[in-house]
Amino acid sequence: MTRSRTLSLIVMAGLIIACAGALTSAWSAPFGAPHPSAVTSSSGLIGWIFAEQAAFYRSLSGYIRASKQDGVAMWELLGISFLYGVFHAVGPGHGKAVISSYLVANEETWRRGVVLSFVSAGIQSVVAVVIVAIAAVLLGATAKAIGLTVHLVEIVSYALVILIGLRLFYVKGRGFLLACRELSWRPTHELVFAAAPAAMRLSAVALQSSVRGPGAMAIRAGECQEDGCEAHVHGFQCDGNHDHHASAWGHAHGPEPTALAGAGGWRRGLAATAAVGLRPCSGAIIVLIFALAQDLFWTGVGATLIMGLGTAATVAAIATAAVGARGLASRVAKTRAGFGMLAMRAIEVGAAALIVAFGLLLLAGYMASEQLWMFTG
Amino acid sequence: MIKRTSCSCAMLLLLLPVCGAEAHPHVWVTFHSELLYAADGTMTGVRHAWTFDDMFSAYAIQGTSPAKKGQYTREDLAPLAQLNVESLKEYDYFTYARGDGKKLKFNEPVDYWLEYKNPSLILHFTLPLKAPAAVKALQMEIYDPSIFVDFEFAKDKPVSLNGAPAQCSATYDLPHQPTTAEQARLGQLDVVPLDPTSTYGEIFANKILVKCP
Repeated sequence: MTRSRTLSLIVMAGLIIACAGALTSAWSAPFGAPHPSAVTSSSGLIGWIFAEQAAFYRSLSGYIRASKQDGVAMWELLGISFLYGVFHAVGPGHGKAVISSYLVANEETWRRGVVLSFVSAGIQSVVAVVIVAIAAVLLGATAKAIGLTVHLVEIVSYALVILIGLRLFYVKGRGFLLACRELSWRPTHELVFAAAPAAMRLSAVALQSSVRGPGAMAIRAGECQEDGCEAHVHGFQCDGNHDHHASAWGHAHGPEPTALAGAGGWRRGLAATAAVGLRPCSGAIIVLIFALAQDLFWTGVGATLIMGLGTAATVAAIATAAVGARGLASRVAKTRAGFGMLAMRAIEVGAAALIVAFGLLLLAGYMASEQLWMFTG
Repeated sequence: MIKRTSCSCAMLLLLLPVCGAEAHPHVWVTFHSELLYAADGTMTGVRHAWTFDDMFSAYAIQGTSPAKKGQYTREDLAPLAQLNVESLKEYDYFTYARGDGKKLKFNEPVDYWLEYKNPSLILHFTLPLKAPAAVKALQMEIYDPSIFVDFEFAKDKPVSLNGAPAQCSATYDLPHQPTTAEQARLGQLDVVPLDPTSTYGEIFANKILVKCP
């Protein structure tokens, strides 16, 4: 039994490390061409989904045009838009990763995850509609101007994601340190206190090593377990400020809920969601402008909103899976007060670090994707 | 069992692409290419006509106000055409040619303009060779190495020769349909971008072959 629990925890840690690895390889891609054969065989399904969503996308223009004369085509258009949204959201973007990481880091419920997913997709659709309505309908802006607007909104969105991730990383990093020290509390009275709070140092490390952060975190968590806390030696994060441990952390039986989620949980969740949702989907922008050119702007708005609904369905499903996995790990952790809790805190820190990494990657991706508007400047 | 399922779900979720933008490609182009020859039988350049997909066409001409609604003249679209060819320079006009195994170089485009044939925008431009070349075997590839743009031969008349010696004949090779593994790779291009020097898109290249024995 104990062995299977340990296994589960190892799997969760492995997930974080694997993801960190994926991010690292993405980061270093410009310096070494990733080999196409890196695609595993399990990606056949994903390949199929991408082919489908491309086909749906290309059929949208025909349905939009047909809906001018034909009421049935209108319903078909909405159906295709929904399917496109569902399939499309499996692909990159749409805040799946950020929302899921956020849920994992914050011990959110699946209900909250579903609501946040729908809010995020809703914001995304509305932003696309608002940009096109203001820029194209009211101002008659060119494609170049609209492209620039979208890019500006993107940068703001990514920067907000990074900020939210950093904040979460700081909070969770402290939680981890407290859990870590709690574990070694009694035997380590004589520990030499470090001058600077370790949590701050950790954030600094995450900033410097950017994408390598999550991996480094997980590895350090491992170090801490091995030689830091258990062996009561001066481990990396096992020093640090000792001034909180007695209050919020009884005897590592569980986190104080208010310290983690707190009353402002909803508000913070919405902030994270809004940051992610801010970035409009360029596919939606093109569909809207195409509809506008056919004098069918409202049809385009309808299709965009339904697309958002489809996107939300996929994101919500993935977010629910993330919450489920976390709940599982949490149940396992509860059975082993000390290390279980430490591992949970490590997972949270890892998830928070991932949000930062996602934000950085998104920003870097923006830098690399200036070609997006190669034909329109 | 349930445990295992949710674990693998989480795994899938974390390993899924995380980044912005959409799956590739974003723009679809149907093209016709005409190879140009001088009177002495040397090749002088290539004249392209690229037809954009209807949605991208609508997007590109957004904000261009023609004198008559829906009727875009060459003059209306001249600034956009200028922008197009200037932007395309960075991408070598997606045109890569080899004559008898040697790389052929192009000058900047001439005679470029945009034509609007509802619902599509067509970009016409001529790429002159830096120096006219007498080539026995010409291979020209049209593709986007980053697969942002999907190029496809026009169905009716994909390739033609203009003023070529009588013994020359042109054929073309269609790119293969991407396999599921390749599709998946395409889907991840936004997350795991290609190396700037990568020619991954070459496996989807449209090849034109001209033999002048």
